[in-house]
Amino acid sequence: MNTLSHEERTALRDSVQRLLRDASDEQAVRATMETDSGYDPGLWQQLADMGVVGLIIDEAFGGSGVGPLELEAVMEEVGAALLCSPLLGSGVLSAGLLQALGDDEANTRLLPGIASGERIAAAVLTGDGGCWTQAGVSVIAVAVDDGWQLQGDGSFVLHGQNADVLLVAANVEGELGVFEVAADADGVSNTSLPTFDHTLRLAKVGFSAAPARRLQATQPVWQAVREALDLTLVALAGEQAGAAQHCLNFTVEYAKTRIQFGRAIGSFQAIKHMAADLLLETESAVSAARHAAARLAAGGDQVDEAVSLAAFACADAFVTTTATSIQMHGGIAFTWEHLAHLYLRRARADAQLFGNSDQHRERYLSAMGV
Amino acid sequence: MSRASNLSDTDLRAEVRAWLAANWTQDKAQAIKQSQAVWGASDALKAWLGEVVEARWAAPRWPEQWFGRGLSNDQGKIVEREFAAAGAPGTGQCRTNMWANTLLARGQPALQEKLIGPLLRNEVNMCLLYSEPGAGSDLAGIRTRADRDGDHYVVNGQKVWTSGAAIADYGMLIARTDWDVPKHLGISFFFCPMKQDGIEVRPLRQVTNESHFNEVFITDAVVPAENLLGDLNTGWKVLQTALAYERSIMGEGARGARSGAQESKTEEVLIQLAREAGVLDDSVLRQDIAQAIAYKKLNALNTARAKADMAQGTSSSVMSLGKLAMSRILHEEARVRTAILGADSLLEGGDYPRAEDANFLTLNAYFTSIGGGTDQIQRNIIGERVLGLPKEPEVDKTIAFRDVRTNVQPT
Repeated sequence: MNTLSHEERTALRDSVQRLLRDASDEQAVRATMETDSGYDPGLWQQLADMGVVGLIIDEAFGGSGVGPLELEAVMEEVGAALLCSPLLGSGVLSAGLLQALGDDEANTRLLPGIASGERIAAAVLTGDGGCWTQAGVSVIAVAVDDGWQLQGDGSFVLHGQNADVLLVAANVEGELGVFEVAADADGVSNTSLPTFDHTLRLAKVGFSAAPARRLQATQPVWQAVREALDLTLVALAGEQAGAAQHCLNFTVEYAKTRIQFGRAIGSFQAIKHMAADLLLETESAVSAARHAAARLAAGGDQVDEAVSLAAFACADAFVTTTATSIQMHGGIAFTWEHLAHLYLRRARADAQLFGNSDQHRERYLSAMGV
Repeated sequence: MSRASNLSDTDLRAEVRAWLAANWTQDKAQAIKQSQAVWGASDALKAWLGEVVEARWAAPRWPEQWFGRGLSNDQGKIVEREFAAAGAPGTGQCRTNMWANTLLARGQPALQEKLIGPLLRNEVNMCLLYSEPGAGSDLAGIRTRADRDGDHYVVNGQKVWTSGAAIADYGMLIARTDWDVPKHLGISFFFCPMKQDGIEVRPLRQVTNESHFNEVFITDAVVPAENLLGDLNTGWKVLQTALAYERSIMGEGARGARSGAQESKTEEVLIQLAREAGVLDDSVLRQDIAQAIAYKKLNALNTARAKADMAQGTSSSVMSLGKLAMSRILHEEARVRTAILGADSLLEGGDYPRAEDANFLTLNAYFTSIGGGTDQIQRNIIGERVLGLPKEPEVDKTIAFRDVRTNVQPT
């Protein structure tokens, strides 16, 4: 894993910002969120060409080979722009899972396509409960003559409906395995879930004697899953922090220009104090996300604490900021045409994607040994 | 002229080290440690500061005329680091001594001549005569008056929240000197002698049942004209200078528990208290505890990021959030302490140290959320200076102070 210098990381971030400023402006987001796939293939290819899709994938497998710090920085821009894409599910969670498992043959076969954006991968890790624990794994693997077959349902699969390849956590004779399944294989059903956040794509994936290939693991399988989930939580924290900051920015701008009672509404302490409180929320979220990225990059025994802190601090800050933003705007933000609700929807989704804040707080305390 | 301008960092460091090695003895360190006074400086400390001033280490960035060496900021830091490494106090006062800095920046030569040296040697005790019962958040609304009479001013009024007033030799005083101009334009700044008949100091009993502050009643007190800092009626600007020094050295200001009951240094205190109370498995309390610890951790991360940003040369909006964050931390910690204790928080006194702490911290949290600018004023500052939101219209900004609406009867 390479770590970029401060300047290089800023340059990377700036180039993503420049691309998304036009390609993922509000109009583009609204257009993309109404499509079936929920992402813009042209923009996806541009992101792949910039190295963003394969950001954390080793150079040996066709990626950029950088780490959590760079991922977090890019995700702040992704969040600010409300990008609609399979980046989190494919380029982060699935690629992270493959690398954490360390099956060289599978990585050689799958990761270059994921990095180049040609292949979209989705990880099937939890069932209808959506609890993201080992006990929540609901698919079963059965050995057959020439390999394995999967049985059962997985849910809340990020961009599962767009996936070419599925990485499925499944119980096999009392232990856990990760299996590779072609999305178009016999016995695989793929149902889009209707999401409250229209910029998000989730699927329910069913397996009925679906042919699967078991991936080798260089560490206990759930540990590899946790590693991938932690990387994803850091990316998500970056998205939340960046989006919350952006939301506060456009809210403050509105408060400077909206006139009522002959004054800009931002001159009223009722509005000003809300904004000041949100600044504390958003700046704390940025600090938490970057701290978690740094800890994850460094490894060691403080990863749990830092990642879980970022998970709930950033989720709560994003929800609070977007919810308060609508109130600060007033009636204009109660309309579909105003963009504030798009951020609130994303915030509410992000706050549930890989466990909720109560669970992350519980993990935070557990990480302190209690 | 700066006599050290050609001195290399290495030579400077060697010179400080050699001087400290020769002068900062175990005996002096021990004597200072054992003689700490609650207010003011002990004789042992004063004696040491005298040596530091004499050797021109007290304010190394200042010119020779004022006991300094004319060092650059960075070379000043070298001196400060060497003193800190040796555990010796007294240097860096060109950065940290609010009183001497304000006097040097704005004072008249006669007063500078008289007090800069004693201030550096900690021979004079000082206090702040800013706030009044009718001028808290609205500090520019002060009504203590100073009227010129020959070669001095006569001061009348009342000040409050003054710590150290009982032993102070001088107070940095803001008083109104012109009532016919808008409020910010009629204030002057003085070094007011405290040891005189016209000054009466009464301890103030706080909500915590302690007395750290005083009320100061001022009746026909006399202030020599040479004790005016800055021009007449420019006191608000002088005050900004003083406040800038005060802010730059302001520590956390937050106090911990006062009962003296054992608290873990390695484990978060809320966890320790919950374990002790047998409620560590209460899922609601666990959420509260995690969140309270998180507030503290997030503030530390914000501060670290602000420092890193400044080191990179980029300005940071994060620094201004610290006080607001600290208020939330203190109130929330006290609330969770109380929740952990439950009915025990009904009690007080030495036999109930946990209750004593929870109740004290609950009340003392207001020290931070009201003192030094209320949370609400802080939110105004953040909203206006950091986020660039427009100011609220000020109805008293452009009218003569005499005509400003007030709770006080006109004088």
